[in-house]
Amino acid sequence: MKLFDIVIVGGGGAGLYAAMEAMKTNPGLNIAVISKVYPNRSHTSAAQGGANAALANTAKDDSVELHIFDTIKGSDYLADQDAVEVLCSEAPKIIRELENMGTPWSRLDDRTIAQRPFGGAGRPRCCYCADKTGHTILQTLYEQCLRKGVQFFNEYFALDLALDGSRSKGLVAMNIKTGRIEPFHARTVVFATGGYAKMYWNRSSNAAGNTGDGQAIAYRAGIPLKDMEFVQFHPTGLRKSGLLVTEGARGEGGYLVNALGERFMSRYAPEKMELGPRDLVSRSLETEILEGRGFDSPAGKYLHLDLRHLGADLIKSRLPQIREMCMYFEGVDPIDDPIPVRPTAHYSMGGIDTDNFGRTVMDGVYAAGECGCVSVHGANRLGGNSLLDILVFGRIAGRAAAEEAGSFDPAPITEAEIAGKEQELRSYMKPSGHYERYGTLREELGQTLGQNVGIYREASKIEKGIEEIAALKERFTHVRVFDTSDIYNTNLIQVLELRNMLDLAETVAAGALAREESRGSHTRTDFPVRDDGNWHRHTTFTLEAGRPKLGFKPVTMGRYELQERTY
Amino acid sequence: MTDSTVQHNEDKRDVTFRVHRFNPQVDSKPYHDDYTIKIEKGITVLRALNYIKEHVDPSLTLRAFCQAGICGSCAMRINNMSKLACTTQVWDELDKAREPGVIKVDPLRNLPLIKDLVVEMDPLVGKMEHYSNWIDSKMPEEQWGKKEFLVSEEEFVKYDKATDCILCASCVSECTILRANREYVSPAVLLKSYRMNVDTRDASHDLRLAELVKDHGVWDCTHCYRCQESCVKHIPIMDAIHGIREDAIERRGVKDTSGARHAEAFMDDIARKGKLVEATLPIRTNGVGWTLKNLLPMAVKMVIKRRTPPPPPLVKASKGIEKFREEFREMSGHVAKDHEKKSGE
Ligand SMILES: Cc1cc2nc3c(=O)[nH]c(=O)nc-3n(C[C@H](O)[C@H](O)[C@H](O)COP(=O)(O)OP(=O)(O)OC[C@H]3O[C@@H](n4cnc5c(N)ncnc54)[C@H](O)[C@@H]3O)c2cc1C
Ligand code: SF4
Ligand code: SF4
Ligand code: FES
Repeated sequence: MKLFDIVIVGGGGAGLYAAMEAMKTNPGLNIAVISKVYPNRSHTSAAQGGANAALANTAKDDSVELHIFDTIKGSDYLADQDAVEVLCSEAPKIIRELENMGTPWSRLDDRTIAQRPFGGAGRPRCCYCADKTGHTILQTLYEQCLRKGVQFFNEYFALDLALDGSRSKGLVAMNIKTGRIEPFHARTVVFATGGYAKMYWNRSSNAAGNTGDGQAIAYRAGIPLKDMEFVQFHPTGLRKSGLLVTEGARGEGGYLVNALGERFMSRYAPEKMELGPRDLVSRSLETEILEGRGFDSPAGKYLHLDLRHLGADLIKSRLPQIREMCMYFEGVDPIDDPIPVRPTAHYSMGGIDTDNFGRTVMDGVYAAGECGCVSVHGANRLGGNSLLDILVFGRIAGRAAAEEAGSFDPAPITEAEIAGKEQELRSYMKPSGHYERYGTLREELGQTLGQNVGIYREASKIEKGIEEIAALKERFTHVRVFDTSDIYNTNLIQVLELRNMLDLAETVAAGALAREESRGSHTRTDFPVRDDGNWHRHTTFTLEAGRPKLGFKPVTMGRYELQERTY
Repeated sequence: MTDSTVQHNEDKRDVTFRVHRFNPQVDSKPYHDDYTIKIEKGITVLRALNYIKEHVDPSLTLRAFCQAGICGSCAMRINNMSKLACTTQVWDELDKAREPGVIKVDPLRNLPLIKDLVVEMDPLVGKMEHYSNWIDSKMPEEQWGKKEFLVSEEEFVKYDKATDCILCASCVSECTILRANREYVSPAVLLKSYRMNVDTRDASHDLRLAELVKDHGVWDCTHCYRCQESCVKHIPIMDAIHGIREDAIERRGVKDTSGARHAEAFMDDIARKGKLVEATLPIRTNGVGWTLKNLLPMAVKMVIKRRTPPPPPLVKASKGIEKFREEFREMSGHVAKDHEKKSGE
């Protein structure tokens, strides 16, 4: 029986930092990283903007204090203040650490790391590598893990935790290249599987695999999830793919225009117009669409982001990336035509409930990164704080797991357990009279979430959403995997991911229905104001009898009193 | 596709995707399947393939993740050129199709085939490890996080572009040498090695270089430029390859390796013997333009190093050679000046 001290599930920024730190903490440990894609493919690579840290290189008067305050205010006071303190005070160190191991940060004239302004931050404190920050951070971490000789199990799909009474003895995973189900005996397991915003499917900026696998696995094993109703939307996703058109396009003077030809932001933010805060602009676009002033298309209703008046020269020189994206992904050249956009699900604030060391309620199980919820983002994440979160808490969880791996000897994962899993997966391949296609269910899940548990929420719609999700879950029992081969069965993988999304969608909807207030990314038209008396608390979700059971947790306060969130 | 109920009359075309299929469990050899679907303007090859997978043939196997051209998963050969399926518009490919209306889709070459459009990436990772494709920081690990290295703009631009690489392996698939020798280091790994070697924060330059000049290393490259032409991020990979070669000659001396000896023979012709013997010149195989661009800067540097600035008279002057000679003189001047400046520091 092969036994690992630590098995890290996920090779994004959080997982790789955890692996590196664990090896540093105790080089004698046997550590494995398993990842369903090669680590350098992880979604961390998509982050363009940057990572926040009060280095005070650009603005000399910046401080950790200010960063803490901005984060707490940005979270609409739902973040735990002690966790935010950890996040922000570790930030300068972790950015420098990445620098020391080779991240190509953009530089200022004085040769120090450059920083730029970012939404919701009082000072320019976002450290960046041009528009490829996440990509270069991920590359650096992957390189360093290779240097340290971390054991990688690439293209392994984690299926479920294996339990030994009330604690974990490891997990079972499928080797995608062979189709074999393999046991991973582990003293500790760290989940770092990224976010779940892909459940909004075509209305999401996320990678195809951001399906919340780790959260779903933990949830099925009885570990509580937290604050799942908080999903952040970005105002300008491309109509067909949901991919982001970054804020730069509006920064340079792009107009948002509805089907009547109006620059509709004048209705919602007459002064700031297109440059209002992210959530406000998202809500404005959604209102235009709901009130029938959007354009129609089979891919859904949309609005125009018009850059044409900026002229070909400016577009080519200042927005070349955005132009390229529009041409690649939408087939539209913004010099000649307006860009079709609509708000897109972007980031999941909720996740596996952990303490400030990444520990979950189950002994030996940790979580970090977008898949965990410490919580540092509360009801709304600030741009540039997520990369920071995965680095800081990835490292902390790696260290904690290394220190706590101890000498616990898990019972073996039995042949019967493996066989049971195999049978379960094979059952999807059985021919039957009536069957469902996973592609259809997946699209419908995205649609119902977008319509009923999207930017604007109200009881009747969410209830409809809950019913539709339940119906989809029922139909899922008839889903059929047509590819019956063992080797590289992506048909099977995508079905398993859909199952995870369906499980989690229930918690998102349940949280959205329960939370009768509007806070951060969660907007209830029937409860339009923040209600601190009843709702200044976290929601938790535990699987009971096949349904999410709702619970609550207090928010840890500190130096900062509740205030209204105005900008 | 999904947009079968298009209201605003967007143009649509019937497109046949001729897709490479191979499932090692049942097929004795690869074959192609044709899938014909209606496609409107603005659809990427990846979306079309996903549509086929979801609605026509779920067993069709490919890799894709970000759908945004940043993760590097979806590289494949489309109409005989390696590129990212997610950034390639179907209609653009129709213009390039050899058979009207038919787009060929094949897996990357030079890596072991797993299934349909999926190839094994482990050999590439293995090479990254072999050539230490990481920064070995000059700062001891215990010191990390305390202070920044200071990096000037000049130092930074040397590796900036190279860090765009998303390890998609398109260049690997197009490399001519890899076609003949899979052990060859690979363009992407050369690029990454170069990126590490020019980074002022790195301490393993010599070690990496020592590995790069061995068999299957930097000297095996034929300068065919295919890698650079196919790079999905438009990275000047050849600059990196030249950079490593020049560096190798400068640091390790001209007698070091077979490749360097090749360059040396070339230099000897023009510099020491004072003439150009066409037979030993790469001009013969690669043309004048190529030689000027590729071997000349290196040869000039070698000449300068030995401090025997040569006027290169020619045995027989062909048209191209005349131009070559002029360029050589001019470039010798530049390099010599640079060299003086540097050694004067
Ligand atoms: C378009 C976009 C732009 C963004 N820009 C910014 C920005 O500018 N600044 C910022 O701070 N944040 C940004 N974010 C958010 C940020 O990028 C993510 O929150 C963060 O990268 C998540 O990192 P992670 O390590 O938690 O997960 P990921 O990077 O998503 O990694 C998850 C890992 O888990 C593995 N995995 C998942 N499921 C399984 C399974 N079942 N079995 C095995 N392995 C599995 C995957 O293979 C992957 O390696 C952006 C997000 C998006 C979508
Ligand atoms: S130039 Fe060299 S590395 Fe590039 S494709 Fe040709 S042989 Fe390969
Ligand atoms: S060098 Fe270019 S083509 Fe080659 S792997 Fe990197 S990005 Fe892809
Ligand atoms: S899917 Fe990521 S590059 Fe194409």
